[in-house]
Order: sequence, then C-alpha cells, then structure tokens
Amino acid sequence: MKVRVLFFGATAAAAGTNTLELNLDDRSNTGQVYDDLLERFPELSRHRLLFAVNQEYASRSTPLNAGDELAVFTAVSGG
Amino acid sequence: MDFTELTTHPIDITSVARRVVPPECGATVTLDGYVRQITKGRETLHLFYEAYEPMALKEMEKLIEQAKRDFEISHVGIVHRLGRLEIGETSVVISVAAPHRKAAFAACEWLIRELKRTVPIWKKEVYADGEVWIEGDSAAGV
Repeated sequence: MKVRVLFFGATAAAAGTNTLELNLDDRSNTGQVYDDLLERFPELSRHRLLFAVNQEYASRSTPLNAGDELAVFTAVSGG
Repeated sequence: MDFTELTTHPIDITSVARRVVPPECGATVTLDGYVRQITKGRETLHLFYEAYEPMALKEMEKLIEQAKRDFEISHVGIVHRLGRLEIGETSVVISVAAPHRKAAFAACEWLIRELKRTVPIWKKEVYADGEVWIEGDSAAGV
C-alpha cells in the first residue's frame, strides 16, 4: 500500500527531501516506517522525533492505511 | 468570530485585535510575539519559520476550542507568520476578547504556551556563523 511521508525543518534537512512516497506491507504501523526511515537516513536519529498520521499526532503503534500521510518532525518551535 | 491564520505578510496587530470584539466583551488581551535579536548570548541575523500548514491550522483551532471550554472568554484570533522574518518583526499575534480581563489574560497566556508546545511550526535561527532549526522543549500530542 502507498503511504506519503512528509518531512519539515530539521527532518527535511536530515532526509534531504520534504516528501517521500513509500510502498508498505498492508499491516504496517508508524514505528515500522520510522525504523525503515532511520536506516535510510541515519541522521534522523540525532533528533527526538514526533509523528503525525493524517494531521493528527500519532505514536509508533499507530497503524497506517493506504493513502495515509505520515509526517515526521522535531519538537515544534513556533510562536 | 474566532479565526486562525498563517501568513507570509507582516501582521497588523491592531486589525487582529479588532476582529475578535463582540458586544458583550469589555477587554481584549493581545500578545504580540516578535523576533528577538539576542538569544542565549548569540546574535540572530534573521529567522525563518516553516509550518505543516493544514495540521498547524487544525491544532490552532483545537487550542481555541479548549481555551473556550477552560476560560470564560468570547473570541480568539491567532495569526502566525511564516517565511523570513527580520529582527523586531511580529511572528505571532494572539488576541482574546472576554467580558472580563482576568479570563482574557489567563487564556492568552495558556494559548501561547500551548501553541509553542503543540502547533507544528518550526523556527530556524540564522546567525553570522551558521544556522540551526530550533527544537522545542516538551513533547506534544500523544
């Protein structure tokens, strides 16, 4: 199933991109995708990371469905 | 009416404050957050803000809903600027209108604290000798 991954700020710098399309097994969760991304972009491990699935905060155990949008980012610093 | 906005244009604080005033209110408290030149002894040349825009707007709306449950306030307006900001420019405005000022002050303080904790916006500080994406202190969401 296809899932779109979004990066912002420091995670975009670590991944060298703002967006990635991934092909996953049907029963993947956020944590599994994160582990894969870490292998692909080791620099991500230098940061404490947050996740959002379809624009709602998520955790490693949050399941993913086809067409989902997974965002991976560092602790926010707006304001 | 409540409103939440992201913009790349300079923010007119007065117009934000005026947009939240309904007839039953007696006070509007407005926070004007702007770019500081000296942070932890380092001199900033300028800032850059990036956002996960659709989620940032949703999180700001959730904060307003929560603030209206927790405080006796009437309306809230939040505007956050994105892109490059120079020293002294306003990055965020939060206006809270309420029948009484005590609730407006308390809600405004709560809103800026929670915005900085949960809304997916990131600040990059640009110094003479480098630049860095700032990472927040506390974990958000779940």
